Amino acid sequence: MKELEKTKRISIASVLFILVVLIGLLTYKRPKHMYAVNSKTTLENITTENYLISLNEIENSDVILIDIRNQYEFEKGHLNNALNMYAPEILNEENTGILEELKSTNKTIIMYGNTPEEVVVPFMILHQLGYQNLKIATIKNSYSQNKLITQNIVVEKSEADINAFISESIKKAALQPKPTPKVIKTPKKIIPIKKKKKMPVEGGC
Amino acid sequence: MVNRKVAKVLTFRYKILAGIFLLLAAGLVLLPKYEKHEGIKPEELLSNAISPERYISTDELANKIINQDPSFIMIDVRNENEFNKYSIPNSINIPLKKLLDEDAIGYLNQNQYDVIFISNDHFYADQAWVLCNRLDYKNLRVLKGGINNWYLTIINPTKPTENMPAEDFELYSFRKSASMFFGVVYPEQLKIEKKPEVKKVTPKKVIPIKKKKKMPVEGGC
Repeated sequence: MKELEKTKRISIASVLFILVVLIGLLTYKRPKHMYAVNSKTTLENITTENYLISLNEIENSDVILIDIRNQYEFEKGHLNNALNMYAPEILNEENTGILEELKSTNKTIIMYGNTPEEVVVPFMILHQLGYQNLKIATIKNSYSQNKLITQNIVVEKSEADINAFISESIKKAALQPKPTPKVIKTPKKIIPIKKKKKMPVEGGC
Repeated sequence: MVNRKVAKVLTFRYKILAGIFLLLAAGLVLLPKYEKHEGIKPEELLSNAISPERYISTDELANKIINQDPSFIMIDVRNENEFNKYSIPNSINIPLKKLLDEDAIGYLNQNQYDVIFISNDHFYADQAWVLCNRLDYKNLRVLKGGINNWYLTIINPTKPTENMPAEDFELYSFRKSASMFFGVVYPEQLKIEKKPEVKKVTPKKVIPIKKKKKMPVEGGC
């Protein structure tokens, strides 16, 4: 009888323990967004994979375009068939729903904004959340007379050789003094000396 | 009868318990999956990333360098070649590929200095920023426009035209003096230095004294 009492206690304790674990597991709220890729792999991916796409390639292929600018700019002008997802709202429920749907169709998603730099943040976040087939369009959008103008640009291109510019400026400055003495010489103006006109001596009255 | 059956099951009771705990322990094997979820929440990362405060303008940076502000370090995330070609004085080269290497962490994960990321435009710098911000490193900034903008504003500032407001002229004079600080030489700068020399060279100007015209003697009446 004593033995039975002991087992009763043990079993009650273990049942309670398991219940606690179960309740804990069931009520554990999964965060809405979970990283699927860790930082190291992300870094590896962004430094090795080619995720940039130019305007010509966009036009030639069947892709989903996402405009990450705000609604106002989107309505002012956007690429054909583009979806609007304003960058700060990219993680809200509606957009997540759309993205999940796109993910299941396995199509390439191309994001663009006014400049490629704007797209970096939403791209990086979505990439780390595990969306594959993401690309950044290397295009620059601007308006001229209310018309959207889209140009290809190259990302991370060094536009000027600064060292060359500096040494050039030093050279230029060094060259500059040479002409200055010449300039100084010029003031020698030949002033024609007016000869006095000898007035004929006028006689008195 | 029932008692006997219960007793029979109960003889295995410790084995059953052990089995349950083993199962739970097996659950731990699945946990490393959450390692991927390192760093701050994606929502937090997004809201941090959207704040414009994370950018620093080229003027602010130039001002800091000239005033020898000790509170920041500059991390250049371009590759070594480009870094060797030109870099902002005192910046540290950590190519984007090596950003999460162990030697780099000492620079990035500290509370003492502001970290300013630099690249040609701010594309790579932004990527570095997002990665480091996810890992919850503090005080990260990005140089807006990067080296290209640095060239356009600080090294080679455009002269404002006459019809521009006075602030533009002030900004221009600041940028110009900043560019001199970073090694650019302007022709007029040398001229000022040369002026005393020039004075020696200048030939004595002969100022022709206008002689009074002698009036011819006119006869009296």
